[in-house]
Amino acid sequence: MTLEIREGSFGYGSRQVLDKVSLTAEPGDLIAILGPNGAGKTTMLRCMLGFLHWKSGDSLLNGRSVRSIPARELWKTIAYVPQARNFNSAASAEQTVLLGRNAHIGLFSQPKQKDLDHVHALLDRLHIAHLAEKSCAEMSGGELQMVLIARALAADPKILVLDEPESNLDFRNQLIVLETMSALTQEGITAIFNTHYPDHALRRANKALLLHRGGHALFGETHSIVTEAHIREAFEVRTVIGEIETDERIYRSILPLELAGESAEIPPDVNRIATVSVILPDDAQAMQVNEILHAYSHYLVGRMGLPYRRAGVHIINITLDAPQSEITALTEKLARLPGCSVKATYAVHDA
Amino acid sequence: MKQHRAGALHPVWAAVLLLLPVIVGFAALCIGRISYPLTEIWDVIAAKFTGAEADKQMTIVIWSIRVPRVLLAMLVGAGLSVAGCAFQSLFANPLATPDTLGVASGTSFGAALALLIGMNLLGVQGIAFAFGILAVTLTWLSAAGKGKGLSSVVLGGIMIGSLFSSLVSLVKFTADTETQLPAITYWLMGSLAGAGFEPLRWGAPFILGGILVLFLLRWQLNILPLGEDEARSLGSNIRALRAVTILCATAVTASSVAMCGQVGWVGLLIPHICRMAFGNDHRTLIPACVSLGAVFLVIVDTLARTISAAEIPISVLTAIIGAPFFIVLMRKSGGWRL
Repeated sequence: MTLEIREGSFGYGSRQVLDKVSLTAEPGDLIAILGPNGAGKTTMLRCMLGFLHWKSGDSLLNGRSVRSIPARELWKTIAYVPQARNFNSAASAEQTVLLGRNAHIGLFSQPKQKDLDHVHALLDRLHIAHLAEKSCAEMSGGELQMVLIARALAADPKILVLDEPESNLDFRNQLIVLETMSALTQEGITAIFNTHYPDHALRRANKALLLHRGGHALFGETHSIVTEAHIREAFEVRTVIGEIETDERIYRSILPLELAGESAEIPPDVNRIATVSVILPDDAQAMQVNEILHAYSHYLVGRMGLPYRRAGVHIINITLDAPQSEITALTEKLARLPGCSVKATYAVHDA
Repeated sequence: MKQHRAGALHPVWAAVLLLLPVIVGFAALCIGRISYPLTEIWDVIAAKFTGAEADKQMTIVIWSIRVPRVLLAMLVGAGLSVAGCAFQSLFANPLATPDTLGVASGTSFGAALALLIGMNLLGVQGIAFAFGILAVTLTWLSAAGKGKGLSSVVLGGIMIGSLFSSLVSLVKFTADTETQLPAITYWLMGSLAGAGFEPLRWGAPFILGGILVLFLLRWQLNILPLGEDEARSLGSNIRALRAVTILCATAVTASSVAMCGQVGWVGLLIPHICRMAFGNDHRTLIPACVSLGAVFLVIVDTLARTISAAEIPISVLTAIIGAPFFIVLMRKSGGWRL
């Protein structure tokens, strides 16, 4: 089952929300929809599922327009998980999940024993069998979210669409929800989810759709979409994507630094104050450093060399007042010395 | 594997709900100004079908007065309970009653108008029913349109309801104070005294039809309280489901009010009692409302016609009996939730 959005555009009145947004979801894809508040993430989902009509463009399921597919047939293929915070019902988990079988149950029919068995198998599979008799009104956010996911899965869908499934949850429950989505895509289900966390997209999704205010959007492999430059453009926030290492593996993570206002833009020709710290594996290299520094002597504010013979290293601290580009060039030159550790620390910029 | 039977009524409860209306119904036939033992009741009813001879006075009392009256009480009680239950789910609001969309006010106005121009009993019933349907149609039209939600339907209902209530007052104001005004006032308070097979023949199909459709849709009704997107994503045609629910509940309520005036409280009381006792699954809730609604109104009506020489208006008794019972149950069960 392939779900394709082809140049979908939508607006409320004269305000354009989505402008020629395209997306392709193949079996096994885990797609994150990202964007700042008000960029139209929920609108995107509602248009995608046919709850709202595209002004132009279309949602196609295996090449067929979603709106031309009869409801019962469509909702056996696609399932929707609404935001848990809008859900208000005192029904038990069992009853709620059983509602998910509705597309398989005739208008005047009742659920059969096999539907009920199906529901209990699902509750077992999602490790929420203990919630079967519990009222949704008394559940925690994490429990309710899992029940809503179970309800969506009860229809045996090929494509799962989730609206902010992990917002308002604590770390543990976020991980449970994300793990569940990853596990489902391993089984060949397509999962598409809205999220406020670029981190979750970075770590889980193989594809990402980044929405901007004004309707323009980027879609592609996550690593090419969730980049510092794109996030800065869409969220107007300066971020850094770094790697966090554990004993087993390296995780990519995105850290928001500051609002990307006008003042944060530093032209490369403005002087900045920086300390470049260098640790060299032997004294002989200190001479090479001196040679390199010679070309930068008019930027130098101070220099301090500290041979630490017992450990066999030589430590140098260089303080400069130089354009950003010169400081970067210097650190790159130093970094090429074999066995050399280099790092530049900048003074906070006051424009 | 463990057998699960969610939503299915326990066989014992099913038997109780099935038998209770029958038992209470026969008991009500025995009780009255003249009391008869059950065996004689049975003889009279059997005689009607076999053509055998039976006591004339007893035949009149039982067959022409008590049987239609008990049947009417059962129909109206069951119908108003189911209609109230459906509206509470539809509007996801525990305060919704069968009158939320203005049907009872419209019906009352129709009846008052018909009494003012001096129509007979069947005429009153017909005009009242027509105005009930008209009121809901006006409510629907006032709230229809793009982007309008269910809350604007409720607001429209309140407006149309108060409009017709004012019109009822206007009719009372212009009515002759010697004859017409008391007739209108008594009718508005509600009474099952007018029960007969002729009014039932015209009114019962609407009530039975409404109950039957809602009963057949009982699984689908579980989807009613959900949001529109959510309901659609479960493969349900939620707009059609809402329209059918409103249509059924309106037919039931308009027909009930047209036959016996305003019977307050049943549509609020019985559904909540059933929710407290059986939970929110309509697969059990609807049958429970039908059964207990019928039982409740038969009991109340029997009391209304027996505890004093003059008949007590039924709306007065439903509240006097229902309210304390409801409060006790609410305190015991720790309340309910939709």
